[in-house]
Amino acid sequence: MPEDAAHLLASLRNTDGGFGVGVGQPSETEPTVLAALALDDAGARGWLAEHQRENGSFSFGAGPYVNDSVTGLGALALEPGRERERALDHVESKRARRVDSTSAVPIDESAVGWGWAEGTASWVEPTATALWALRLMRPLSVAVKDAVALLRDRESVGGGWNYGNRVVLGEELPPFVQTTGIALVGLSGMDPDLEGRGLDTLSRLWRVESEGGLSLSTTLAAFRVHGRMHEARAVRSALERLVDRTELLGDGVALGWAALAMSDRLPGEDR
Amino acid sequence: MRHPFDRRAFLRGAVVGGAVAVAGGAGLRALLRQPRPWDEAAFRPPGEAHVAVLTASSYEGSLEATVLDGLRAIGADVRGANVLLKPNLVEFDPSTAINTEPRLIAATVLAFRRLGAASVVVAEGPGHRRDVQDVITRSGLAEAVADVDAPFIDLNAAPIRLIRLRSRYTDLKELWLPAPVLDADVVVSMPKMKTHHWAGVTLSLKNLFGTLPGRVYGWPKNILHWEGIEQSILDIAGAVRPSYAIVDGIVGMEGNGPISGEPVQMGILVFADDPVAADTIGASLMGFDPERIPYISEAGLFLGQTDRDRMQQRGEDPEGRMRSFAPPPLGDGIIGA
Repeated sequence: MPEDAAHLLASLRNTDGGFGVGVGQPSETEPTVLAALALDDAGARGWLAEHQRENGSFSFGAGPYVNDSVTGLGALALEPGRERERALDHVESKRARRVDSTSAVPIDESAVGWGWAEGTASWVEPTATALWALRLMRPLSVAVKDAVALLRDRESVGGGWNYGNRVVLGEELPPFVQTTGIALVGLSGMDPDLEGRGLDTLSRLWRVESEGGLSLSTTLAAFRVHGRMHEARAVRSALERLVDRTELLGDGVALGWAALAMSDRLPGEDR
Repeated sequence: MRHPFDRRAFLRGAVVGGAVAVAGGAGLRALLRQPRPWDEAAFRPPGEAHVAVLTASSYEGSLEATVLDGLRAIGADVRGANVLLKPNLVEFDPSTAINTEPRLIAATVLAFRRLGAASVVVAEGPGHRRDVQDVITRSGLAEAVADVDAPFIDLNAAPIRLIRLRSRYTDLKELWLPAPVLDADVVVSMPKMKTHHWAGVTLSLKNLFGTLPGRVYGWPKNILHWEGIEQSILDIAGAVRPSYAIVDGIVGMEGNGPISGEPVQMGILVFADDPVAADTIGASLMGFDPERIPYISEAGLFLGQTDRDRMQQRGEDPEGRMRSFAPPPLGDGIIGA
């Protein structure tokens, strides 16, 4: 039942209004963002508002680095208003660091997306979540085109996405379900050919990687956002069984994605 | 400022995920550097190490007994200790040998219990795949640890604490480390014996990348790549300080590791009470010169023993078990043990 993932996610709620990655863990941004979205949780939104940085980001410090990769999801979770606009401003104004193409890792140097941390290179997942927020709330931004260009450049040979690159040291990196699902959620409506190859890849692969909650959840979200309801129903059944059997190992991020993917609050769903 | 190495081998211009490369190291130069990039009060000069190389032709049969023999050969004492096994679990591909074999991990759980450990857990934070549940299930690890009633801890999702680094190879100064790693009495690094296209080899030191939480450092632990893979290996190892290493060399990986290489039937396990000694012997067994693997030679200055004359070796003669692994791309400079 869809309530199961939501119920399990709700059990991670802390007294400060935020959600932890596991039971009894302190509140962190990513599970709190997902809970705000999936559960429409006012307490979670309050926690996010309290923890938003001056620059509008939601971030995690790691020495000289600031991991701000959740800011796009944060913007999706906030109610319309100043906090949401500040988060969008941050996402729209930031880019990953431009890096050189090399024979080891050939890339289109002009394609620059979003990274896990400020000042580092572009990766598929943070670019996809930034794109998800921007295409829904700032569709005319040039940042939308940048995100699509990055995902075009990093597409695996034949379709879908690995975590960051297409080829490394001559090896074509295969697509993964989780990263392909997230990329497709971000991309919806942006590039039909690219999305078509990605959806075909996801249709082919999701049963192979169906033992993980994060993979099934992002797959379900992708199929729903793209209106592929027949496949979405099959994935949902598999996800419900997995939640019932394993509780997704109690992982707040996986449970958050599962609850969101099964909810009627999935941003940008093509109904 | 990140501590500079002089590049001399194989990692020129390496790029990961569009990210910048790492730098290499020339160990002896560190002796001349003042101040040294580690707190001398925190690291005693490396002492005598105990290493055992044992034959194990396959993952079938009495692996528990072999592991027990190996641990006894190096004098492992874990009575009453809470033990954390850190295998190498990156992603799953049934066609090759990326990960520490789950049957070996299960056998090791049983062996440590036989030696009197108070508890044994298996913990890993995979670097390439964010969906840990899928990786541990399809790789067989979830079933293997369930069979021996050992908990698996996802280090990407575990509680974390910030600790101050006692070495300065990166600019990080502090690391977020999982509480289960920090709270364990004994950490055992259990790598796959394999090549690594950016670092040369993955052995017990490189394996420690998986202790850092991806939710902070990104996937594949991207911030560490920006800080330099080798510099990060040294700082992480200086923070985690594993007590023992067990290297899965029953089937290793050569060529374009850590993911896309080819399986190698090696038929050995390496045990050590010193991860640097384990990696020194492990690299040699692979046909590589550990002195030419910058992070291993640098680690020998403060983290453990690289001098074979100061290793008590049991079991097989490593010279007799050496096999020339195909080097990783760009890795010709490490050949020549």
